[in-house]
Amino acid sequence: MTSPDRVSRQPAAAPPSPAADVDQPIDADGLYALRATLAAHASRHGAPAEQVHHLVIVASELAINAIRHGGGAGRLRMWHDETLFYCQVTDQGPGMTDPSVGTTPPDPTNPDGGRGIWIVRNLTSDLRIGPGPDGRGTTVTAAIPRKGSVDGH
Amino acid sequence: MTEAVVPGMVDAGDHACLTFTDTEERFDLVAAFVRDGLRAGLKVVCWTDGAGADAMLAQLSTRTVRTGPAVYRGQLTVAPFDRSFGDRGASAMVEALGHEVESARREGFPGVRVTADMGWATGPHAAAEELITFEAKVATLFNDGRLCLICQYDRDRFDAVTLAFAANAHPKTVAAQVYHEHPLLRICRQYSPPGIRVAGQLDYRHRSVLAQALAESRRLDRHMHLNLTGLDYIDGACAGLVVATAARLPASRRMTVTCRPAVATVLTLSGADAAPRLRVLPAHDQP
Repeated sequence: MTSPDRVSRQPAAAPPSPAADVDQPIDADGLYALRATLAAHASRHGAPAEQVHHLVIVASELAINAIRHGGGAGRLRMWHDETLFYCQVTDQGPGMTDPSVGTTPPDPTNPDGGRGIWIVRNLTSDLRIGPGPDGRGTTVTAAIPRKGSVDGH
Repeated sequence: MTEAVVPGMVDAGDHACLTFTDTEERFDLVAAFVRDGLRAGLKVVCWTDGAGADAMLAQLSTRTVRTGPAVYRGQLTVAPFDRSFGDRGASAMVEALGHEVESARREGFPGVRVTADMGWATGPHAAAEELITFEAKVATLFNDGRLCLICQYDRDRFDAVTLAFAANAHPKTVAAQVYHEHPLLRICRQYSPPGIRVAGQLDYRHRSVLAQALAESRRLDRHMHLNLTGLDYIDGACAGLVVATAARLPASRRMTVTCRPAVATVLTLSGADAAPRLRVLPAHDQP
């Protein structure tokens, strides 16, 4: 397992995202439904099981991060292009100040948290962490490669 | 009044009922019943429904019951139950049980454990009244304290009225100890091999109940078995707790996790490979 090399604090709106597949608020009670929705969308776009798992794992960790450390709620958007699934989570929390968060492997003997962003980094080809749209909170945008995808819409 | 008990608490003279919807739970409870009976030197008889004998033997082996030697020395019998029982009525099953008690005595066993899939009573000719007659008549067989019987009822195959009667007819009902019960998450104890079983979706919101179940397994079981076969999702917070529990085991102990690929991915990224006493097995290797 290698730690991803790209760590940026640039504004996260990089990929154009006109038509989101999923755009919904995040809260703790909605996590089951969120996972089911993301899995259904990814499957509908021809993603094989492994990619669906990766998308669900990434989106869940980001959503949970927003709920636990980003003010208790947020918004999740998911869209795709020919090569990538994108998952973007915005929250109104204090903001992620450490751009190197999750770049070192977790200590296996530590039972307490701190694994979320490491997990996300290992399942994504690009991860951008930046401030929210109005300068407050955090926006995290993750890209998951669509290898083996059978359709391109 | 029916007393709820865990598998280790059924003993000679007991007549217990096991109602199940989850086959993992059913096979686990049956495996523990068989294993404990064999260990105690009792004769053990497993009556399966239809052609389920081979499947039952495979399930018992998977769950670390050493069936081969026990069958060879005549201590364990796993056989399909005669479907025509439904026609011949409840008295035939009572007779068959009486015969097992008698032959176990002749063969020098101190007692006999029987577990029967009561599915025969759902056949086209079987009437629920037959079942009710059976459960009432069988009571006399327990008088000399040599028989221990667990009747298995599939909740999906019996109507609510019959199930309610069955539950009342048995002095005891066998069930797993449950730590958390919800349509989206179930955490319970597993008995053979010993550990815990988790099904559904598991995230940080239920981390404390997972911690409680893991702590109990760590206390009771030399080698911990986590059956996550039915788990669809685990988050990093809970996976990290599983990995840390294994990583902190002393060198003589082990944790074995059985899970599907999505869960294995999160466990690996949470440091599973760096925990030498943790083994992660793919669920499809198990029947």
